[in-house]
Amino acid sequence: MSIAVSRALCRVLSRQTAVPTNVSSLMGVDGHVSQGPWFASVLTLKTSAPLRAEPKKKKKVDPRREQMVRERLKKKLKKLERVPPELIPIEDFTTPAKYMDETRVRGAPQLPFEESERRALLLKEWSRYKQTQHRAEMEAVGLAVEAQREALEELRLESEELYQAALRPDPLLFPFNHQGPSYTPPKAQYEAPEGKYNNITKVYTQ
Amino acid sequence: MAAPCSRMANRPLWRFITNVRRTGLKHTGVRQISLSSACRAATQTRSKTEGVPSPWKLYGAVCLQRLPVISQERNPIEDQFAELMHQMELERSLLSDHEQRLLEDSERMTRKQADNYDSDEEEADYGGQETITAQDQEDTWEQKLKHFQPALRDRDVGGTPLGSVERCLGDSLVLLVQQTVGKETIWLLPQAQWEAGETLRQTAERGLSSLPGQLCGEADFKATFLGNTPCGVYRYTFPKEVRTERCVGAKVFFFKAFLSAGSASQKEPFLWVKKTELQRYLKPPYLEKVDRFILNL
Repeated sequence: MSIAVSRALCRVLSRQTAVPTNVSSLMGVDGHVSQGPWFASVLTLKTSAPLRAEPKKKKKVDPRREQMVRERLKKKLKKLERVPPELIPIEDFTTPAKYMDETRVRGAPQLPFEESERRALLLKEWSRYKQTQHRAEMEAVGLAVEAQREALEELRLESEELYQAALRPDPLLFPFNHQGPSYTPPKAQYEAPEGKYNNITKVYTQ
Repeated sequence: MAAPCSRMANRPLWRFITNVRRTGLKHTGVRQISLSSACRAATQTRSKTEGVPSPWKLYGAVCLQRLPVISQERNPIEDQFAELMHQMELERSLLSDHEQRLLEDSERMTRKQADNYDSDEEEADYGGQETITAQDQEDTWEQKLKHFQPALRDRDVGGTPLGSVERCLGDSLVLLVQQTVGKETIWLLPQAQWEAGETLRQTAERGLSSLPGQLCGEADFKATFLGNTPCGVYRYTFPKEVRTERCVGAKVFFFKAFLSAGSASQKEPFLWVKKTELQRYLKPPYLEKVDRFILNL
């Protein structure tokens, strides 16, 4: 269509300026020089085929669109992150449902009077025993502390430098590990039997 | 500033250089020791002739304890109370899974033995499987337990010698050695004389490692010392013959340690004693001081 427009323009211009001649060997039917569609005249608009191709127009808009998409995603992520994380449930605080079952209740025993009396008296005796034990422990600890205080006093009288050395904490002492007493003493050369177990603890991630 | 500083620095300095200990003066200048470190460098070359040596010899001793390996026997009241607690807990508890299984199994047995037993109905419920009853499982567990032979709790029936570490496993034991102090050979906690340039704790460690058994390499005690602070002190004056101007007596500082690993042979003159047996071996004034920090808890 642009070719037709340019040709029309050429015709108009050539009719106004051109001398009426019979020279038609070099001229086409229209009466102006045109050597095919690929060679437009100087007066026509410069609209060559490569310029007329459509897809190149999207170059500037594409990166902008992609950037916009990325920004939107980041905003969504930030919104999600702002939400405080779900608290990990403490399984010890919730009574499992199977313990609420009534079939599990043991029959409440009917204690005779003597039995309940005996229990009450035994509990009182026990509290007295524990009290004396506690007093003895406190006394023993007090004596030990007193002994240490005296030792430090004597050491200070002797030598200040040794005293300061004694007051310094020992970094190699902790972590201190010791196997506590068991019911039976350990067996020499005892091989514990190998066993397999499935660990079904629930692990929560925040 | 220099004059009072140097005067303050004097007291710790000659002690440091000449290895001299103070007499029992009240130390008012002691608190300013922290400043003296700066002045020390300036007054390093101070005279060594100052100062009176302390008349007390210093020793570092170690109270090595082997902690109990098994739990103690219960008193009668503890026994009774433990039983009572067990009973009460049982009464207040709910049925466990295993107990419920036992109940169900027994019910099923009674139903099987009843006249109107419909085996098809039962098998439809349980899928016709051969189930192991809870009672059978209990029996198998008991059998397994019988196969296991634990070590005996009381090995003292045969009368283990006093030198063995494997004595009364339920109590904590203290190490005693026989050393010559002055003219006598007495039982006491292993000790060594303090030498210049080491802390008292190092003296105690040396005392432990230099025991006759250790030197031969037969007995090997691995002890964990509980900190740098001494736990007790025993001060005594020498008898009049030995007493001089320079040494009036000696002070023994005790350090606590736990035995982590040790293999003792019977030859060395070691003794592992309980707190109650200490009085048989230690002298009364010594025992009085030592008894305080040896805890039987």
